[in-house]
Amino acid sequence: MELLRDLNIDFMKYRKFWIVVSLVLLAVGIFSVFVHGKLNVGIDFAGGTQLTLKFKQPPDLGELRRVIADAGIAEAQIQRFGEPGDHEIIVKTPLVEGSEEGSRAPVVAALDARYNPGAAGLDLNRAGAADVAAVLLGGVPDVRSEADLARQADALAVAEAILDARRDAGLFTDWDQLAAAPGVGAEALAQLRDASRLGEFALLGVENVGSQIGEELRLKGILAVILSLLGMLIYIWVRFELRFGIGALMASLHDVVVCLGFYALAGFEFNLTTIAAFLTLVGYSVNDTVVIFDRVRENMRKTRRMPLIEVLNLSLNQTLSRTFLTSGTTLLAVGALLVFGGDVLRGFAFVMTVGVVVGTYSSIYIASPFTLLWEQLFGSEARARRASGRQKAA
Amino acid sequence: MNRSLLYRGLAILALVVVAVYSAWPLDEKIRLGLDLRGGMHLVLQVKTEDAVRAELDQDQDRLLRFAEKEEIAGLSARADAGEAGADGAGPVRSFVVAGATAEQADALADLARENLRTSDGDPAWEMTRRGDELVFTMEDVHARNLERQAVSKALDTIRNRVDSFGVAEPVIQPISGTDRILVQLPGVDDPERVRDLIKETAFLEFRLNDYPREGSSGVPREQILAHYGGRVPDHVEILPVRPEEDDTGRATDAAPLYIAVERRSVITGGDLKGAGPDVGQFNEPVVRFNLTPQGGRDFAAATGANVGRGLAILLDRRVVSSPRINSKIGDTGIIEGGFTPQRVADLALILKSGALPAGITYLEERTVGPSLGRDSIRQGLRAGLLGVALVALTMLVVYRLSGINALVALVLDMVLLFGGLAAFNATLTLPGIAGIVLTIGMAVDANVLVFERIKEELRAGRTVRSAIDAGFGKALSSILDANITTLIAALFLFQFGSGPIKGFAVTLSIGILVSVFTAVIVSRWIFDLQLARRERVERLSI
Repeated sequence: MELLRDLNIDFMKYRKFWIVVSLVLLAVGIFSVFVHGKLNVGIDFAGGTQLTLKFKQPPDLGELRRVIADAGIAEAQIQRFGEPGDHEIIVKTPLVEGSEEGSRAPVVAALDARYNPGAAGLDLNRAGAADVAAVLLGGVPDVRSEADLARQADALAVAEAILDARRDAGLFTDWDQLAAAPGVGAEALAQLRDASRLGEFALLGVENVGSQIGEELRLKGILAVILSLLGMLIYIWVRFELRFGIGALMASLHDVVVCLGFYALAGFEFNLTTIAAFLTLVGYSVNDTVVIFDRVRENMRKTRRMPLIEVLNLSLNQTLSRTFLTSGTTLLAVGALLVFGGDVLRGFAFVMTVGVVVGTYSSIYIASPFTLLWEQLFGSEARARRASGRQKAA
Repeated sequence: MNRSLLYRGLAILALVVVAVYSAWPLDEKIRLGLDLRGGMHLVLQVKTEDAVRAELDQDQDRLLRFAEKEEIAGLSARADAGEAGADGAGPVRSFVVAGATAEQADALADLARENLRTSDGDPAWEMTRRGDELVFTMEDVHARNLERQAVSKALDTIRNRVDSFGVAEPVIQPISGTDRILVQLPGVDDPERVRDLIKETAFLEFRLNDYPREGSSGVPREQILAHYGGRVPDHVEILPVRPEEDDTGRATDAAPLYIAVERRSVITGGDLKGAGPDVGQFNEPVVRFNLTPQGGRDFAAATGANVGRGLAILLDRRVVSSPRINSKIGDTGIIEGGFTPQRVADLALILKSGALPAGITYLEERTVGPSLGRDSIRQGLRAGLLGVALVALTMLVVYRLSGINALVALVLDMVLLFGGLAAFNATLTLPGIAGIVLTIGMAVDANVLVFERIKEELRAGRTVRSAIDAGFGKALSSILDANITTLIAALFLFQFGSGPIKGFAVTLSIGILVSVFTAVIVSRWIFDLQLARRERVERLSI
């Protein structure tokens, strides 16, 4: 199958138009991040606590907000997570001044008070193996003999099996789920029903980032992106020429800012994984641009007298099928990730999806025009013109 | 078949076999990160300031005691305020002795030099005069040593503590260049208990009561403030009393009580040699402790000079109990505080496995339940398989039979990728899964570069054989340049990223290297295989 053969599109002709389009996108990006303040910064950088909870009943977000606010925890963000039938919720609370330890305890206590009121006995949806084993043994074990040790070990094994079952389900909603765990006989089940209960929610995950670490992660993240861009610039400068390095740098910067804008508008959380996505995006964008420049370099060697603008056009046309094909396959892969890859990776997939599209575009309409511009302003001809201009004046 | 073809084929086969052997079965051979396996990740900070401060307090006392032995009396000493002020905002590194004459000053300097030394035998303090006061400043080397020891001791203690939990493959390491410790415990099912137990490796101190001066179980805060006329003196601080616990170990609801204690510690956890559960006079559970020889001497001196006064036993800056000193106590004592047997066992474990000379703060904590990880793996794999299918289809449609060439390369990519992950013992994290999916998309790039080149050469009129040669030759520089830039990005990710991000960087890097290898070497080999069948090849399905 022959894709895009023998094309002779004059890309550079309309470059001024597309640069204007880019400026608009850039402006939108900068506006939505900085002015509109819409970047949803995760706890990795802002510090704070994030709890992932799973409820038996579909939780009412408004109710949750009220409960947590009543407990004196200000500005908690609550959102749904995962598949709708999972009843999973994420609660994010900001940094508490002066405390590195976060608000896990008060939030859980407030939820306990509201959803497990007046409850007695061990909450099997939150307990650890040791406590479950204690219930099975009828109290904290008093180990005085070999037989006692054996009983304790058995109880611990059953407790582990129960916890395994809970891990699979996330939460126990029914006593039958416990009965299904290996080693849980009728007697054990009866003991458990007697002395414990199935609480209304389980804590699937806790993340707490103190202010110190938050600040460090911020710095590291920014440093990583800046150094990465510089690294690319230097590599391309060494392998090609400075003007190409500038073109690639501009294209990458453009991609990062535009994607950031879309990311902010889409409301995804900006955390460590996002930085990874953006760094990957930079890598991909430069990858794309380099392929084009490689062809430019080859063409320049072949046709020594051709002006840069024509060489650029020629190279762009020649590499067009490769550009579309590679972007296409990468888009298919990250598209699959975006749609089917689950909540946690969705932000990452979004950056890559938008990034591939924008990156391809920028390799054509940002990298090359900027290389051209640099050449026009600082290239050998320009310098010669300036020198002769000065000579004439003098 | 010519020899080069044979050898190359065998080499490729060998690599594949090694890869499969390393990575099969997948769920045993590939190490999963915490975010996929479930577990706890903690970054702790050791408050080394506490350790240094404690040493300062103790040396200060020792100096005065030595002075007394030499008949130098009438001295008073206090800690010198840190740079930012008396509330300890800056590090306190010196203490001030007042009331000494000029000759006494020299004698004191000698005493300090001879008796207060670092573990290397060098003098630990430098004395200068400030007006008619003598300022003893800790040598930097000594302070740094103390800090290092504090972190080291904390590390050991936490290791012991975690060992008793029976966690498989725990990671407990210092973070180089800082006074922090990284703790990673996979598969922990009771994070709250672990957290509390680790956190309780906190600071044990013995201090003298100021108000109420005798042994006490605490008084309301207002009473203390009233006693001092509203403002507590500098050498005293008000600390809460730990509430009593009921049978299940939970605190009772009584009103909070306090004691005003001296800021100086008489002895700390660092002076403890051992501890164990015991029974007291009335058969109540108590904790018995033994001190080191030096600690014993300090303790004896302090208790001997303060008979009748209350001695506050502090755990994590809360008063556990405050008995009255009835007589000079040597190097053995008990801690009683209305404990349950479980609590005594826990406390003894804490004290025995090494009480810390410094406190601990949690800077970062991440606990992921395994069910979250399981979901993520499932979804990631789903996306990955779909990605492979779509990409393979595209290649077949666009490049026809040569697409099979690309397909084989893609499959080999995956095999070698997982083999590489297993062989390097790299950790697969959730972003790492994203990295794999990304690699699937980008892996064909090198193939595309070559194939497009081959097509061009064919169009330009070359024979099939020379087109393939030229295609691989000319595309090589593009492939290298392009992939090196992505590797640069991965390198920075690895440098600056934390655990999950590092996993992604490693996966991406291995993926890139593998895809370059398959595109350049394996695809070439497959083409050569096709060509070797006949003398002249007229057409190439591409």
